[in-house]
Amino acid sequence: MQTILSIGIDAFAYGMALFIICIGLSLTMGLMRVVNLAHGAFAMIAGYIASYAARDLGLGYAIAIFLAIIGTIILSIPLERFLFRRIYGSSELTQVLMTIGITFCVIGITNYFFGPTLKTIPLPESLAQPVDVGFKTIAAHRLFVMTCGLVVAAGLWYLIERTAFGIRLRATVDNAAMADALGVRTQVVYAVSFAIAIGLAAFGGVVGAEFLPIEPYYALRYMVTFLVVVSVGGAGSILGAVIACLVLGAVDTTGRYLMPEFGNFFFYAAVIAIVCIFPRGFFGKAQ
Amino acid sequence: MPTMAQTEKLAAAPIPGSRAVRDVVGVILIIAAGLAGFWLFPDNLALLTRVIAVALLVLSIDLVVGYCGVATLGQAALFGAGAYAAGIACVNGVTEPLTLILIGAVAGAVAGLLMGTIMLRAHGLAQLVLSIAIVQLFHEAANKASAYTGGSDGLAGLMVGPLFGVFEFDLWGQTAYLFGLALLVVIFIVLKFVVSSPFGMLCRGIKEDPIRIGAMGAFVFPVLLKMFVISGAVAGIGGALAAISTQVVGLDSLSFELSANALVMLVLGGLGSLYGALVGTVIFMGFEHVVSAINPFHWMTMVGALLIAVVLAAPGGLSGLADRVLPSRQRNRGGRA
Amino acid sequence: MPSMKKLLSAAAGVLLAGSVSAAADTIRVGIIGPFSGPFALQGKNFQAGVEAYMALNGKSVKGHDIEVIYRDLPAANPAQSRALAQELVVKEKVQYLGGVYFTPDALAITPLLKQANTPLVIFNAATSAIMNQSPLVVRTSFTTAQTTTPLGKIATDRGVKKVISAVSDYGPGVDAEAAFKKSFEAAGGQVVETIRMPLNTTDFSPIMQRVRDSGAEAVFAFLPSGPTTLGFVKAYNETGLKQAGIKFFAPGDLTQESDLPALGEGALGLLTTFHYAVSHDSPENKRFVEAATKAIGSPEQLSFPSVGAYDGMHVIYKMIEATDGKQDAQKAVDAVKGLAWTSPRGPVSIDSETRHVTQNIYLREVVKGPDGKLINKEIETFPNQKDPGLATQ
Repeated sequence: MQTILSIGIDAFAYGMALFIICIGLSLTMGLMRVVNLAHGAFAMIAGYIASYAARDLGLGYAIAIFLAIIGTIILSIPLERFLFRRIYGSSELTQVLMTIGITFCVIGITNYFFGPTLKTIPLPESLAQPVDVGFKTIAAHRLFVMTCGLVVAAGLWYLIERTAFGIRLRATVDNAAMADALGVRTQVVYAVSFAIAIGLAAFGGVVGAEFLPIEPYYALRYMVTFLVVVSVGGAGSILGAVIACLVLGAVDTTGRYLMPEFGNFFFYAAVIAIVCIFPRGFFGKAQ
Repeated sequence: MPTMAQTEKLAAAPIPGSRAVRDVVGVILIIAAGLAGFWLFPDNLALLTRVIAVALLVLSIDLVVGYCGVATLGQAALFGAGAYAAGIACVNGVTEPLTLILIGAVAGAVAGLLMGTIMLRAHGLAQLVLSIAIVQLFHEAANKASAYTGGSDGLAGLMVGPLFGVFEFDLWGQTAYLFGLALLVVIFIVLKFVVSSPFGMLCRGIKEDPIRIGAMGAFVFPVLLKMFVISGAVAGIGGALAAISTQVVGLDSLSFELSANALVMLVLGGLGSLYGALVGTVIFMGFEHVVSAINPFHWMTMVGALLIAVVLAAPGGLSGLADRVLPSRQRNRGGRA
Repeated sequence: MPSMKKLLSAAAGVLLAGSVSAAADTIRVGIIGPFSGPFALQGKNFQAGVEAYMALNGKSVKGHDIEVIYRDLPAANPAQSRALAQELVVKEKVQYLGGVYFTPDALAITPLLKQANTPLVIFNAATSAIMNQSPLVVRTSFTTAQTTTPLGKIATDRGVKKVISAVSDYGPGVDAEAAFKKSFEAAGGQVVETIRMPLNTTDFSPIMQRVRDSGAEAVFAFLPSGPTTLGFVKAYNETGLKQAGIKFFAPGDLTQESDLPALGEGALGLLTTFHYAVSHDSPENKRFVEAATKAIGSPEQLSFPSVGAYDGMHVIYKMIEATDGKQDAQKAVDAVKGLAWTSPRGPVSIDSETRHVTQNIYLREVVKGPDGKLINKEIETFPNQKDPGLATQ
């Protein structure tokens, strides 16, 4: 029983970390219809900024997260303006070509300036402590990640379903030309949603750095994981992404506990089974 | 090679409709380019042989992506199946090169049948993810079965016999290169017939509008599956060629990275035309080789910049062709048929 | 094609004859390593080792100038490895090949050596079996079995009777597991469970849960350097295994110096065995570290591949000396069999049977150095270790 509980809590923490990193990509792919393979690159940039702020400048963790999100969004503005705007509405493969190109460039540049070594983001004392939760000791940081995941999910749901901006966003997604004609400034809607997606990537990159450590090849190394999560959940669906992350986190964690040597088999077999049963993901919209 | 595509267009322009003439010219140009490579770069034949093996992989992706509209990021599963089948056969005493190629083709085709059966159940993003999951499973299986495959240390000790009992696969790699070139040309000609046959037309039709083709009375699934099998055989031959010429098979031949790189080469060269697959492969690998020799620390940035530049500078050219991949987009954008 | 081949080899022969007769000729050495990609740091260390050796020992041997040509092979890719080796031999006319980080890449080169009449000096690739593929291979690095074996005795000496082994599921990991199991059981210990973890594992808490459930007194681990090692060590600390007194043993790949800053305080007290620590206390090492740091730029990036490259260049220099610049691979290899010298890592020699390096293996503990940075401090020496993987064959 103890073992089941502790596997459960590990799975939940891992799933929530995945969720925070992937939800931005799910929004870009589902709402903006852009296959942004450079998503991980933005998460990594944020990780580098946070690492620099917290480790080299000695700023606090919260400030580092804030700076990383703002910094990454600022960096992404010229990219959105000059590169991404050209591929809205292009075919998926064109988008793949462009965003892989961007990823390669980011990796090359990061590697050149910061070297290939891992960058850590020092945690504040309160998050670095192991906490005894009764049946096992768990890093306080993991509890923090779980909370963050739930907050992000709730916040996004509110934003998209309950605010005026959410209404405009959904209108733009359903029919951009019609929304435009009705006075929705679709360019602005796109730009803001792009910024939100990048901000989420940045937040996920920093908060999830304890699970997926920051290094130049981050974007390529975890690209498959991100794509799998988004497609299993259904692109653009927040609830779908939450469920996908929890299910995949549970499969992964349990598999690694019970039969680590076949961990990957479990994971990918589960992916194949889920995708075959739910071809659009758990809560994907019909295209 | 780039000039080849241009010349091909020129040759086509004045006499539209005479596709046979165009294809004969195209094949002659490929042979000419291949032989030119042989004489111009006699010291780099191992690299050129590698280019040919990858070109076969890219051609096989073109068959499913470019002609059937099936998105895949897992084609290396078929390439690696061919490579490992040939490699394992060779270690166990089958050393005749043509037999090994045949074994590779059969293994690739069987893997293609399996992969197609699973992948064709889904569409779009889900299909892409299925292909990734399959290639990862293949990779994992090869890693696990290290008694047969050598695992991550690679399958070494392939002693390939001489071609036709005469020509050795040696340090200079002339046999391997010319053998590869001959294979490429033969396969290219066969594929030209396949894609212009009624079966090939049906595939294109399915890519444009599967529902309409279904309504016309054709069965979509078996047609696509057949193309998958052909594609698997081509990829398997590429893998077997790589195994024969390298004498080692590594896990990299079953990797997601190889699949993704090959897809990028294809999109770079242009989808849905067999020439595009060849041009993309030669440009990408040539560029990578030159840039990484000049400055190994920067080649990734340069390759990235090249990809971005292609999307920005040739939206009508390459991405115009790319638009044909997804039928749903096709109608909005009105791309060339 | 045979006529073509003869023509080429004849041409190569003429070129060589010409070059040998000249007084001040240039001998080219081709180095293949990962100079870009995720393992670029290891390639940089190759280069630093080579440059350090040439800076300290001159750029010529017996009047033959040495020119080094680097080729980039970012990841394990045998086809590319073969293409690069062929290009170096046929086009660049190198007389010696060196470097090679990954085992499959080395295996792709070995079939070429005889025909190319070129020895291969391996600076890293650490699988025992490579040496059996060709008599023209010499290795100056280590094998996983060689660095791991002393751990069996170390563990029992510390009163540990039950160990759980957790290794990454790939060639070197499996080698490490086998070597540890053998030596630990020979010393009277018991490996209660062996876990093989997928290479792409990032969250190690379920593994730690298993370690805890197994009731073992210590964990033996082997993972590739980088994110996986970081994640593993982190999980070991966070899940309270360290506080619970479960000991941690591993080969030194896990605590290589370039990773220590990222591992941070959590790495303190880890016990690892390896052939080289940058902190090794000897005049030879002092000279080496100074020269290599200059070559690599920043002192934090220096780690073990540099010493493999440094000694590899020593072997190549000796080969050139023995053959006086003539291309004779067999004679060159024969000349270094049994060669012994004092390397920055301590006394080493080339075993004349296996052509693999015989060397001291050190037990090290991660501690804070005098300047507050983490170092591997050598606390015990196991002298003259051969490769058990090859010795048993």
